[in-house]
Amino acid sequence: MMRKVIGILLIVLGLGYVFVSFDFLPAIGDSSAPAHKHVSDYYIENALKDTNSPNLVTAVLADYRGFDTLLETTVMFSAGVCVVMILGSKSPLRKRYLVPKEILKGKPYGGIPAYKTVNKDVMTTLIEILILLYAIYVLLHGEVGPGGGFQAGALIALAYIVNVMVAPDIKPLFKFTKINAVAAAGIGVFIYAFTGLLTMFAGGAFLEYGKLPFPIPENDLHPVGIMMIETGVAIGVMATIITILIAIIERVRFDDDRN
Amino acid sequence: MQHFPALVVILPLCGAALSLALTKIHIHLGRNVIFLSLAASFCMSIMQLRNVVLNGPMEYRFGGYALPYSIEFRIDAVGGVVVSMVALMGLITAFYCISGEVRTDKIKVGGAYSVVALFVAGMLGTASSADAFNMYVFLEITALAAYCLIALGGNRGMIAAFRYLLVGTIAATFYLMGVGILYAVTGTLNLQDMSVIIHQGGKDEAVLVALCLLIAGLGVKSALFPFHGWQPSAHTHEERGSAALIAGVMVKIPVFMLFRYIYFVFGMDYKYMKQVLIILGVFVGIGMMYGSIRAMGQTNMKKLLAYSSITQTSYFMLGIVIGAPVALAGSLLHFIGDAFIKGGLFYCAGAIKYKFGTININNFGMIYKKMPVTATLIVSGALSMIGIPPTVGFFSKWYIAIGAIQTGKYIFLVLLIISSLLNAVYFFKLIEKVFMENDKEMEDIRPVKKGELPWSMLIPMTICIAVIFLLGFFNVPLINIVLPLFEGVGL
Repeated sequence: MMRKVIGILLIVLGLGYVFVSFDFLPAIGDSSAPAHKHVSDYYIENALKDTNSPNLVTAVLADYRGFDTLLETTVMFSAGVCVVMILGSKSPLRKRYLVPKEILKGKPYGGIPAYKTVNKDVMTTLIEILILLYAIYVLLHGEVGPGGGFQAGALIALAYIVNVMVAPDIKPLFKFTKINAVAAAGIGVFIYAFTGLLTMFAGGAFLEYGKLPFPIPENDLHPVGIMMIETGVAIGVMATIITILIAIIERVRFDDDRN
Repeated sequence: MQHFPALVVILPLCGAALSLALTKIHIHLGRNVIFLSLAASFCMSIMQLRNVVLNGPMEYRFGGYALPYSIEFRIDAVGGVVVSMVALMGLITAFYCISGEVRTDKIKVGGAYSVVALFVAGMLGTASSADAFNMYVFLEITALAAYCLIALGGNRGMIAAFRYLLVGTIAATFYLMGVGILYAVTGTLNLQDMSVIIHQGGKDEAVLVALCLLIAGLGVKSALFPFHGWQPSAHTHEERGSAALIAGVMVKIPVFMLFRYIYFVFGMDYKYMKQVLIILGVFVGIGMMYGSIRAMGQTNMKKLLAYSSITQTSYFMLGIVIGAPVALAGSLLHFIGDAFIKGGLFYCAGAIKYKFGTININNFGMIYKKMPVTATLIVSGALSMIGIPPTVGFFSKWYIAIGAIQTGKYIFLVLLIISSLLNAVYFFKLIEKVFMENDKEMEDIRPVKKGELPWSMLIPMTICIAVIFLLGFFNVPLINIVLPLFEGVGL
């Protein structure tokens, strides 16, 4: 008890002191702050010339600091592997718990349907295709508009989630087993890293898109390189989300109202 | 050759990414690819170290843009030594893991090696990077893999991992806040560029807050004394195969980062550096005593080593606090040596657990007859921890002590000697149990036809014994490699 009080008191006093006495951070929107002068100015002035990408965010994210994005994708992938490893280390819940048969007899999924007006099966087939179309649009258009690989991957995974969780009865557009999903996440990361290795073998630095060994004008190489890594990111993110979904679903009795 | 700094990190990363897909083809293909990538990474790190010693620091710019605008890897003599150490430990620990393999489940075999390779790649990257945010991302990869490896150690491991997850995530946030403040006042993330701007002065208070946040964040990650709460249980219950990597190497990388921030970014002439070092000195002084005293009462070998780790982390920080070039070099020697000592002792604990199913040191009677190589490693590791020549532990403490005398900080000399004597108490207890205790007639749960252990465990342990003595005998060349760098930055 005493320790808690002392801890809370220290935090309050420390925060109070910092609020009262420090005013070193620049004001919001202060254009003369160091963070907006030194590196940022260079990016704003040279991004279009250097990377041939009209979107500054994409230029910094995928080109100037592309290596960080590779590692962010790796973080996603390692999260997927960790979930599979940790959740896979026990026998499935089904085997550990006994479900009385009388309760489930006749109504295999339990519960009473709450609504009957919307036909989920029809809706899902429509929605899935729309989601996938939008995902492809986001992926291909990511260099120009907002979006990119992460969002596209999440959208494709969303189509899968809708399929599995809302309408498990109809035949899915695509299906993954656990090992396929986690292997696909790894391959997504590898596509990204391979783009870097390709530029390295062609004589440039890692992820120096201008050196990609493709027979197209050098000006177009940057968008091609960004496209390649965004595809890798999309596959990685999609497969990681699906992996986590599968790993969790394996452990719970999925008691949804399917009528 | 100029691509080596990047390839050292990228190859294990690619191995980890491909592991599961290759495992689908054959259950051991992914594992073998990871071994190959780690071996290649180790060879490259050695060649890169040789190049650095001969031709000066190497720098690698990702994307090929000019410097503050792209991410940079910078390998100087110190970084080269640390990278080689991590690569060697990663390689032999991956070998050691073969003995604990699940033989049926493809996902588990491929996934486990994938996590180990990610862990090694994360640490290699953190040691190579010269970009504040890039370091953070590598630190996160390391931490995620570590959470997983600790959680795989059974039910208690799961709880320990969850505690570490909460504490470690907050620590990472502290680090990120520190980097954020540094970015707000300097406008750059490249460490060298940042150093130049900080040395122009004018932002001392903001930099002080950032430095405090960095110390808190990296202190938690490295289990420095007041921030060590997660560490003993995590080190005790972590997964057996990779325990050496977590206990021996992972907690050292944040110390190395802190060292680079203090000496290469902020510099000794920073206005508040003296006060910061005094506070760190208090932490270090208490930590040296606390770790030793808590370790004395333990009967679980891993817990004993875990508390001893707190003391060892304090020794590295001691070199940083003293600040004389010789002490910094001694600190680095201890840093390298302790990876193999602590790693080796955790290999021993894993081996005894593997063979007899217990790591209670009261059951260690007559183990020197049943497991001669293990006993040799326990003895050489314990002697090195205490600091008895000709092991590496003696020379590293010797250099730190010389540094303390040179700068007139005699209090640290006294504390170092007392702490070493306390180390002697519990490590001689361990040696006594190995040689003097009555045989407890433990059942050998995994009999091996030839020798005491499978070869995949014996090779890493032999390498550890060799390195402990070789680093002791050849400490002067290593010190000569790194000393010129420290002379520029020390007191």
